Amino acid sequence: MDFYVSLLTLFGFRILLGLSAYVVILTGQISLAQAGFYALGAYSAGAATALWGWPIVPAILLGAVVGGFFGFLVGFPALRVRGLFLVIATLAFTEIVRMVFLNLKYTIRVGDRTIGPAAGEGFRGITYYFEHGWSGLHILGFTWLFVAAVLLGLWLMDRSRAGAVLRAVGEDELAASSVGINLTAAKVSAMTLGGFVAGMAGALYAHYASYVSQEDFGVLLATFAIAYALVGGTGSVLGPVAGVLFFSLLIDGLRFLGDWRNLLFGVLIVAMMNLRPHGLVDAGLVRRLVGLRRRASAGA
Amino acid sequence: MSDLALDVVQQALNGFLFGSSYALIGIGFTMIFGVMEKLNLAFGITALGGAYAALLVFQLTRAPFPLVVLASVAAAGLIGLVVEITCFRWMPGDYPLAALMATVGMLFFVEEVIVHATNGVPRAFPAPLGQAMFDLGPWLLRGDLAFMFLVCLAVMVALWLLVFRTRLGLATRAVSQQPVAAQLCGIGLRRVNAAVFVLTGMVGGVAGALIGSAVGNLSPLLALPLTVKGLVTAVLGGLGSIPGAIVGGLLLGVVEYEALYFFGIGYRDMVTYLLLFAFLVFRPGGLFGSAARR
Amino acid sequence: MKRTAMVVLSILFVLAPLVAAMTWEPAWAQDRVIKIAGVGAMSGVVRTFGVNAKATLDMATDEINAAGGIKLKDGSRAKIVTTYVDERCNAEEGISVIRKLASEDWLVSIGPTCSNVAEPLFGILQRKAGDAGDSGLQFPIFTDTAIKPGLAKISEWSFRNVPHEPTMYNHLFKWLKEKNPDAKTVMIGVESDFAHSNANAGIMEAAAKAAGFEVLGQEKWLLNDTEFSTQVGKFRRAKPDIIGIAAHPFTTCGALREMKRQGVKPKVMVGLTSSATLETMVGCGPEAEGMIIPTGFAPVTPEAKRVAKTVAERYKGNVDLHSAAVYENIQVLKMVIESSGVEGKPTTVASDRRKVRDGLAQVKEFNGLLGKVQRTEDRESTKPYVFAQARNSDWAVLFDPR
Repeated sequence: MDFYVSLLTLFGFRILLGLSAYVVILTGQISLAQAGFYALGAYSAGAATALWGWPIVPAILLGAVVGGFFGFLVGFPALRVRGLFLVIATLAFTEIVRMVFLNLKYTIRVGDRTIGPAAGEGFRGITYYFEHGWSGLHILGFTWLFVAAVLLGLWLMDRSRAGAVLRAVGEDELAASSVGINLTAAKVSAMTLGGFVAGMAGALYAHYASYVSQEDFGVLLATFAIAYALVGGTGSVLGPVAGVLFFSLLIDGLRFLGDWRNLLFGVLIVAMMNLRPHGLVDAGLVRRLVGLRRRASAGA
Repeated sequence: MSDLALDVVQQALNGFLFGSSYALIGIGFTMIFGVMEKLNLAFGITALGGAYAALLVFQLTRAPFPLVVLASVAAAGLIGLVVEITCFRWMPGDYPLAALMATVGMLFFVEEVIVHATNGVPRAFPAPLGQAMFDLGPWLLRGDLAFMFLVCLAVMVALWLLVFRTRLGLATRAVSQQPVAAQLCGIGLRRVNAAVFVLTGMVGGVAGALIGSAVGNLSPLLALPLTVKGLVTAVLGGLGSIPGAIVGGLLLGVVEYEALYFFGIGYRDMVTYLLLFAFLVFRPGGLFGSAARR
Repeated sequence: MKRTAMVVLSILFVLAPLVAAMTWEPAWAQDRVIKIAGVGAMSGVVRTFGVNAKATLDMATDEINAAGGIKLKDGSRAKIVTTYVDERCNAEEGISVIRKLASEDWLVSIGPTCSNVAEPLFGILQRKAGDAGDSGLQFPIFTDTAIKPGLAKISEWSFRNVPHEPTMYNHLFKWLKEKNPDAKTVMIGVESDFAHSNANAGIMEAAAKAAGFEVLGQEKWLLNDTEFSTQVGKFRRAKPDIIGIAAHPFTTCGALREMKRQGVKPKVMVGLTSSATLETMVGCGPEAEGMIIPTGFAPVTPEAKRVAKTVAERYKGNVDLHSAAVYENIQVLKMVIESSGVEGKPTTVASDRRKVRDGLAQVKEFNGLLGKVQRTEDRESTKPYVFAQARNSDWAVLFDPR
């Protein structure tokens, strides 16, 4: 039971990470910077509770705001580069963030423990949950409060003009700008929002794991962030959710295969992209489901 | 000459030479993207896979080094073909992200095959030039890296001859410029795509074998650096430009080594990436690409 | 065609977790069993650690089961049932895996392999046993491999049977000073982004200074670096008498090759504990010739030879300083379970775990493969060790201080 609770909690962070990549992909930008925002959120929220004694909710929000701030900073230079160049530039950002944490050392003694970011050794002692006696269920509920809020927020945004604007920019920039959409505003907002959500995810993860280290926040994590969005599909906010389910089922559901699990992992990704290139929940599926609902309600 | 000046030059020489390895792998990335406008993230592992296959051949037959390189070329070419079939052939042309994700899957798969076959243990790779060192005045030059630099130039010439002096090259250029018109002229799109992947795979095989020999050991740890450095080199040089990839790789090497000398290991990569980031913002097309390229 | 594929895939996704749930834990209702889990890295470059640990785990438990199993306090005999789970050297995965094991009826886990997994893993355990306000996991973990010093302090549920590097290296450098009276200077090379290597470099430096050497400096690289001309160039210029390399086989081999290339030949080469294994010999046997590493395992006792031989021949694994601890841990756990009233019933899992923990905490000394292992105050171990030297692409015992 405890295991499934912790698994669902993990889903929460991954879904947030996938959503942060999704928001940016909507505007046609492939960003590997989400892992960097995640790391920034993790370290700042961890420092808030473990080093400065903040309560948990402001700490998580701090992580999100820090992520969003850096998203804003990255958003502007990102305007100048496209496609593969953007991939490389955002990869560079994630690596720079990782290296900053590889070198950052700021520890204090609390009682008999040394806690704080300790360069290569990592940041240990983010034990807010355990010090306050939170059970697995508490942590799950708390995490999913944020996840649900973000899902709802992004879903509402998708149905509003803002969502249409972002998708328009992603589809065809020239056409979008010719109807008066401010490309800069759209793309930078998307990156900021992506950074905000990723920072939040990182903040929640840091408290779950109680220890973070720069090696957790590299290219692999960045790749998974876009994988959740690409394999899951960008048709709706449920896309990254489907993507996370796909990968998590792969990792945990296939555990009984033992050694062969890892081999199958890559194969299934290739197979999935061949079968559904636009992802599990792509625009076509969304349209069909909406059409079904409309027909059903029209019929009734 | 002062110690500092001696060191700075030695670092630049080291970086220049080691940059040849980046250049060699960057050539493959740039060719795929430049010719086909496709991003193949599985290219680094194709090169590494070729090297591992060659190592297997060496362990079974104790063949001389040129044959080992040939085995790597053949194996990597084959892997390149497999990548084309599984990740690009049936993907929608207007949505390159799907193929991108598929190549990521291939990268994971081939890496796992390597890990399973070797249990992740680093294996010694034949290195006939491994101990060759030359004195250039007060500085040392690594012989195997100098050889790699020459091979880069040779590969560049060979590819130039291929692209501009053969029918396949003509077809490739036609397909990259005007795919529909090319088909109308009777050029088989699928065959050309497959041929380019096999070709770039073969270049990757050369890179894999020579890099393996320069490092002295093959390990799955090489997969990520090969991919990232190769991409960075291709981007620095301007996607599609082979001379650009070479210059980009050498430049990256020099920057890295000077950064290591002046800032230490903790900041080496940070400085390199900051410079890359700045470069991309101010000259997004790369060194030899057009400034407004996509 | 595509639609059917979709349907098939969706069915598979529904089935996979069901099958997983069914096949993961067989329901042993009748016999008493003691369930011990193994957690280790079976993926990536550290796969060899997990493979060896699992092989040794299987060998140790098969041996005990063949001899009748564990004798419980009420006289009944229970067989050991094991599982080995992959933590992929990844903190998130390690935490997930331990939570899963804790939610089932496993009594104790051996592992993990990676220090960067052990640290957060111990972090989610209850800090003080019996602290009702601490909602951390109450699941004992007995580590075999993760060797970064000082981790067991994190929780009273964590115990480690790993060599104590400060002790070994202090002794090694003192011994080196005696054997090489004209050696004065030491330089260290380290892969600075690997937690264990980083800690080890600090230990080497402290040990060298304590033995009276002058430490000229540390040269750093990263764990997947492939070129070391800058760092080795500094060695070449400083000409230290002793060079210590705190790195795992891949970069150790790279550095050694560069040293050979630049003609750097120190009087003595010292290495990282984890590199005293077959891996280094396979990767660069000739270049490593003469390197000295203190290690917690070598086939120098009849028992050690027997275990190494059996695991190699029948279980396709290699017993080295890391996997040897798995064998020792199983023997300790058997002893603890037999004496602490563990019942082995599906209803007594929580109390059994507490008994195992308390039993482990009371162990002050136990039999290792090389001799007696002492338990320290903070639940670490002081293990007997030997100094191994690389000779002819194999490890030979240079000095046996036992």
